[in-house]
Amino acid sequence: MRTRMRGKRAFLVLTGYVALLSLIIGLIYIIFKNNAPTSLLNNAGKVLTPVLVYVQMGLICLMAPTFSASAISSEREQETFDLLIASLAKPSTILFGKVGAALSYLVLTLFGSLPLIALTYSLGGVDLLDIARVYLVMFVAGVTYCSLSFLWSTLIRRGVVAQFVSLFAVIFLVAAMPALALFFTALASNFSGGPSPSFMNIVFLLLRTNPFAAIASLIPGFAPPQGIWLPNFPVWASQVLFYLLLTALSLYFSLKRLEKVRKWM
Amino acid sequence: MAHLRKKVEMSNSDQTTSMIKLENVTKYYKSFPAVNDVSLEINRGEVFGFIGPNGAGKTTTIKMLATLMLPSEGRLSIGGYDIEREPYEVRRMIGYMPDSFGVYEDLLVWEYLDYFASLYKLGPAQRKRSISDVLELTDLTIKRDAQVMSLSRGMKQRLCLAKTLLHDPEVLLLDEPASGLDPHARIEIRELIRELCRMGKTVLVSSHILTELADFCTSIGIIEAGRLLAAGRIDDITSKLAGNVVLEITVKGDPALALESLAERVEVKRATCDGRIIRAEYTGHSDDVDELLEYLIHRGVRLLGFIRTEADLEDIFLKITRGAVA
Repeated sequence: MRTRMRGKRAFLVLTGYVALLSLIIGLIYIIFKNNAPTSLLNNAGKVLTPVLVYVQMGLICLMAPTFSASAISSEREQETFDLLIASLAKPSTILFGKVGAALSYLVLTLFGSLPLIALTYSLGGVDLLDIARVYLVMFVAGVTYCSLSFLWSTLIRRGVVAQFVSLFAVIFLVAAMPALALFFTALASNFSGGPSPSFMNIVFLLLRTNPFAAIASLIPGFAPPQGIWLPNFPVWASQVLFYLLLTALSLYFSLKRLEKVRKWM
Repeated sequence: MAHLRKKVEMSNSDQTTSMIKLENVTKYYKSFPAVNDVSLEINRGEVFGFIGPNGAGKTTTIKMLATLMLPSEGRLSIGGYDIEREPYEVRRMIGYMPDSFGVYEDLLVWEYLDYFASLYKLGPAQRKRSISDVLELTDLTIKRDAQVMSLSRGMKQRLCLAKTLLHDPEVLLLDEPASGLDPHARIEIRELIRELCRMGKTVLVSSHILTELADFCTSIGIIEAGRLLAAGRIDDITSKLAGNVVLEITVKGDPALALESLAERVEVKRATCDGRIIRAEYTGHSDDVDELLEYLIHRGVRLLGFIRTEADLEDIFLKITRGAVA
């Protein structure tokens, strides 16, 4: 973390990140202001906040594997891993230290966007509690992607390959589930008499694992379809639980892998 | 440096305790035995030179001792702690310097040491003192606030040695500590190791450059193709080779005639040539060396020098190894 924050790079990346978000929000606001009816302008936050959050979520999907996937691979590539293992650092210390370091920068970028969120919030139409929940969804997603990428880092010797595989795994997690849901929905439209309730449940279950769906369920918010399983259990909560489970599994297998380091070195 | 010196008295009073022990250790890489049935004991305070050509199994043995690898067969222990069952106790006792290592280039020198000091669980006050001590010992105090990436190769090597000493380990495992260094840096590292010897540390230092070890090792082990061919105190091994006088013969012009003449003599077991200097292993009676000199002159060999020397590490190494790997 110390080396990551040293020099101009960290400052430039963070500034670039906030500038990119500001530019996107600024452009959308100008288009929105010139075209939307006055009644909608009073709730501009309802449009701008999801845009801001989706862009951030997309950036988290890209950044987390970049930060975390080379944690162990790069130590092996730059020949510092032997020194680390021969020290008194326990596998859990290495695991939480590395994941924590990757995560800390991610958290910093989330904090960096807070002034922008404050601006879009002031435009109305969004609940403060929902914004807090959205940030929880994004934070948990960041933790999950960092943990998953760390696991790949312990499995793959070359840093570039580990990063590529981690990125692919994150894209799969984010895109594959909604794609499957869409595919099944399209398939169901060809059924005579429409899809069965259990079929719709499975489709909705897939959506419950997706952070973008979780965010959409909060801002702008949507009502779950009739007759689904656990109708009162919020989509965002189920998504957070699913990702926490994924995190726990990733950390567990990473720890097991590090504990057996002497067998694979 | 006080905390680094404190163990001298203890080590002097307990010289014969075995600190490093290998019992029938074998390590396979797939089906290839990199280390083959090696047994070895190194006593407290000893400076053990691990000699062998590249690929002989030195690094694999040291990595196993550093708890980075498990043996396929056999048992290794340091200070009585088993490397397989008690790796953390072993790590507390050892300082390991690998043959090739990286450094965190973006860190400052003191940050690099601070990072490792925290990994060795040193408290803030102790950490500060240790960093200052090892910087002084390795003559890097002036570079305390320099970026690691700005250091020369020799300085990085010294920095790694400084890191190795942070937690004041009793046993040092130094794998080719002077490899790739220029002569000046090589001498500096050699002086440092000598200083560590004076501090009473038990040192296992490997090298394939024999002259590097000859100066400060109390005992040696010669390994080739994974097998330990000889181990013990240098004078013990040398005395085992008693009767073998090494002659250093300097010739004028082409050494071919001299080599041919030496090959004709049964009492000359082996002769190697380096430019105009021939080193010949003489197995005859040491008082009869003059006969060989007379013979060479009689054969028309033009001599510039004819010196009788004691067997050194190089001679011992050549005698013991078969040179299969190098």
